[in-house]
Amino acid sequence: MLTGLAAGMARRRPASLVAVLCAVLGGSAIVTGTGVLLESGLRSDVPAGRLDGASVIVSADQTAPVPEDLDVGLPERRAVPADLAAELAGLPGVTAAVADVGFPAAVLGDDGVAPADDPATSGHGWSSTALLPGPQVDGAAPQGDDEVAVDASLAAAAGLDVGDVARVVVDGREGGYRVTAIVRPAGAGVLFDDAHAAELAGRVDLVGLTTEPGATERVAEAARDAVAGTDLVISTGGDRGDVVLPGVAAARSTLVVIAGSLAGVPLLLVGFLVAGALGVAMTGQRPELALLRAVGTTPRQLRRLVALQATLVAAVAVVPGVALGYLLAGRFRALLVHIGLLPDELPLTTSPLPALGGVLLMLLVVQVAARSSAWRTSREPVTTVLGESRTGPREPSRIRTAAGLLLMAASVPLAVPPLLVRDALGAAATSMAGLLAAIGLALAGPALLRRVSGGLAGRLPARSGAPGWLAVANLHGYALRSAGAITTLAMAVVFVLTYAYAQTTVADAASRDGAETVLAGTTIDAGALGGVPEGLAEEVAAVPGVDAVVPAADTTVLLTGTTLGDAVVEPAGALVVSGDVSSVLDLDVRAGGVDRFEGPVVAIGHDLARSQDAGAGDDVALTLGDGTPVQARVAAVYDRELGVGPVVLSADLVEGHRTTDLAQRLLVRTDGSAATQNRLAGLAASWPGIAVLGADGGPDSSTPPEVWLNVAVLVVLLGYVLMGIANALVASTAQRRAEFAALRLVGTTPRQVRSVVRREAALVSAAAVLAGVLLSAVPLVLVGLGFTGRPWPAGPWWLLPATAAVVVVIAFASTEVPARLALRTPPAEVLARAT
Amino acid sequence: MTAAPAVAPLPAAPDGTPAVQLAGVTRVHPPDVRALDGVDLVVPRGSFLAVMGPSGSGKSTLLHCAAGLDTPTSGQVLLAGREIGRLDETRRTELRRVHVGFVFQAYNLLPALSVADNVTLPLRLAGRAPEPEWVRFLLDRVGLGGHLARRPGELSGGQQQRAAIARALVARPAVVFADEPTGALDRASAGQVLDLLRELVDELGQTVVMVTHDPAAAARADRALVMADGRVVDALDSPTAAVLGARLVALGEG
Repeated sequence: MLTGLAAGMARRRPASLVAVLCAVLGGSAIVTGTGVLLESGLRSDVPAGRLDGASVIVSADQTAPVPEDLDVGLPERRAVPADLAAELAGLPGVTAAVADVGFPAAVLGDDGVAPADDPATSGHGWSSTALLPGPQVDGAAPQGDDEVAVDASLAAAAGLDVGDVARVVVDGREGGYRVTAIVRPAGAGVLFDDAHAAELAGRVDLVGLTTEPGATERVAEAARDAVAGTDLVISTGGDRGDVVLPGVAAARSTLVVIAGSLAGVPLLLVGFLVAGALGVAMTGQRPELALLRAVGTTPRQLRRLVALQATLVAAVAVVPGVALGYLLAGRFRALLVHIGLLPDELPLTTSPLPALGGVLLMLLVVQVAARSSAWRTSREPVTTVLGESRTGPREPSRIRTAAGLLLMAASVPLAVPPLLVRDALGAAATSMAGLLAAIGLALAGPALLRRVSGGLAGRLPARSGAPGWLAVANLHGYALRSAGAITTLAMAVVFVLTYAYAQTTVADAASRDGAETVLAGTTIDAGALGGVPEGLAEEVAAVPGVDAVVPAADTTVLLTGTTLGDAVVEPAGALVVSGDVSSVLDLDVRAGGVDRFEGPVVAIGHDLARSQDAGAGDDVALTLGDGTPVQARVAAVYDRELGVGPVVLSADLVEGHRTTDLAQRLLVRTDGSAATQNRLAGLAASWPGIAVLGADGGPDSSTPPEVWLNVAVLVVLLGYVLMGIANALVASTAQRRAEFAALRLVGTTPRQVRSVVRREAALVSAAAVLAGVLLSAVPLVLVGLGFTGRPWPAGPWWLLPATAAVVVVIAFASTEVPARLALRTPPAEVLARAT
Repeated sequence: MTAAPAVAPLPAAPDGTPAVQLAGVTRVHPPDVRALDGVDLVVPRGSFLAVMGPSGSGKSTLLHCAAGLDTPTSGQVLLAGREIGRLDETRRTELRRVHVGFVFQAYNLLPALSVADNVTLPLRLAGRAPEPEWVRFLLDRVGLGGHLARRPGELSGGQQQRAAIARALVARPAVVFADEPTGALDRASAGQVLDLLRELVDELGQTVVMVTHDPAAAARADRALVMADGRVVDALDSPTAAVLGARLVALGEG
């Protein structure tokens, strides 16, 4: 019975329910999209790619266990015993057991390096062709140490054919190799005679097994028994990608981190908007709800009816919303890949779990919001409800006001973390604190507005026109309705200001740290070759005008620390350098020194030193990117953590613990003259695959990719918020038909009614901008103090006027249009319909 | 402007023009419903006219056309001697708020405004300063002198209707139109409201046109029109409830 009634009521109030519909649709898209990212971060299958022909892969464990948490992926390759392949070849059902190796190899063509997915691991042994999916070999196996086979795409890019002599840079050394075969599929890489490859690689990455048809499970079981007791792992099916491309698999945690950092703010916004839209819808339905109460509906039934109605609308909205969520996640992944935060190989999962989670979460939000918005109407004496039923003014409740003020007060300590933790996580607190204050404002808003508008009405100039007087009277009289509009708009202001300025402040501090760190004016990048070739550093150092050259690379370390009392293991990017580091990087060293950065040493940031309770000369424990735990002596403690990261490692410490030991680039400090720069450019031209980059050092000093990520998140969420606000304003203005009609019957011209509405919009947007700025002030002052030492945030000045302009446009447009529409119907007709 | 006397008389008709005059007014609702069919009507100043009739007889349409809320399809409507049928919405509104007062079944007070602000609203809209004595007199007269700062939601139905009557009178209009003013009230409150309307006519010379379906209410008027199918079918001077009741029963409604 209730279902039919709820559906009927929903059909009669389309305008206000459109707002609920949109809020739920956008909300379920955002929640589902976040869910897809999270699930992908936990368990998306990296494609096995080049080794897709191997049914079973035996490798070292590329994860590090974390107590009471998910394992952390190890991006650097761990080796397996050299005789493992021979041992496994004898297992029943195995047709071939291949020891696979990978090492830097780049094929040079006439116009540069033939592009490969990862030049640092493009070199392989010939026997790995047995593990290729559907291999086609056109030619013969390479023999000895002067022959190669290349895959079809490399051959095409370098213009090579069987019998040609290819110039290949192998592990930093260029040489001529006769091409004996072209191999398909693309991605097979540069293939050498197995003995030569093993010599170049110096280790075995993994063993791939091909099996008799249908024997995969049996072989996997047998292999598992064979390696029992070691830390080797057996992978089949979708798990193989993780051990084929450990770097890609380790990047999955990026998605978890992003989804985690997204979880808080969007959920708050979704809850806020859904509750706001339902509040407006319920206000419009008060006359009907009052009648239902009058004919004997119990408070419980009334709340159920309202919740059911909202659920029906939500059920309609979640279907496209969830579908949109998957699309949104796809676009988001593309953005992450584009800005370099995610490797292209990592796909998203497409399971129904995020959809299920999104639907359940949205239904929960809707149920709670609907029941609480109907709470008061359902509990009041019937006569009170009937008396108020003409959507007249209602007194804001005291508990609500007190709770709101309490929340606003509580938001202040929440904004403190940036003072203590100088990283992106600390800055995330800024936005959360701002939004919490905005929610507090939403609760306390009506009572506050009564005060302010009451004062305003008393101070209004006696000769101010009727529209201005009416606008203030309406703001005061309809405090709940007006405060709803003001607080949602203020929330948008708070969201934009705190979210954007927190990000720009961190980015500004980081890039300033970065820029001040880098003394090296020039970077010479050898990424296309898979590593800095032999002899390059010496040749660069010999260029007149070059003062210092330091080879550098990036790796990952796992830091063990405690956050709020829990032991956590967190992967962190780390710079690998050696030699006289102080000649190219100014780390702002507090203790010790980095001018002879050699041996098993590290330099650590000030915050890390404090949390590890270690100083210069002490030993710290950390885990390298391949999972090896090491004790390293602290050579220096530095201050520029925001720009360089928490740890700088010596090349000696990580030797043998990275997938390739070659440096990735050279940090070059010059005399800064154009002549030197020209000489360097000339030198680079004679080395294929070498690029000279400008004033760019070890850490990235240009716009960090996280900024683009946050801009994208801001745009999506802001779009959602503005849509929600506009819808709610339209719905609430459309509900004023009867009020406008009554105004017109007592002699208000349509023009005067529009003038009242416009003045209201002006007052509402002014109040919203003012409230938004006030609520953002404390968190932004704190984030400014924490990151830049000044009591204001860093960022573009135009953000505030632009936000104010958007608020004004939304407030005017979404009240003017429905007001005009409402004024089209003759007033007598409106009232005739209402009674 | 000269100071208003404590009990201000309404502006007398300088040349004896009727408060309201309708000539051959026809109103056709699309596609083809003749709500009014060639109605002629003269409401002299200072008179109390009741309009009765069964549902759908056209009495509300008559009121709306006479008050300038609706425009006739053909025919002329003169309000205080001025033709209003050809004016645009804004001009008609401006004319209305000066020359016409309204009392509705549903009161239609603005919930956000106090009683005093509701009453003075038409003057403010017209850009005229309220005369404090006149407003005070009206509110005392309707029995709300002690409730100036209350909001409509805090008043009883009868009190709200009396506030609406004060609002209708505040601009000293040529005519007050009342559309089922007692329709939502209990018997005692209805009696008070009808007494008030009658007294306004007798004491202030106010012209009142009231639409009602209640013969007892219509019997308080000087004259009662009975409508059916868009035409005036009967006009009774000094009607009694019994006669009017019989007349309505004859038309098919009690």
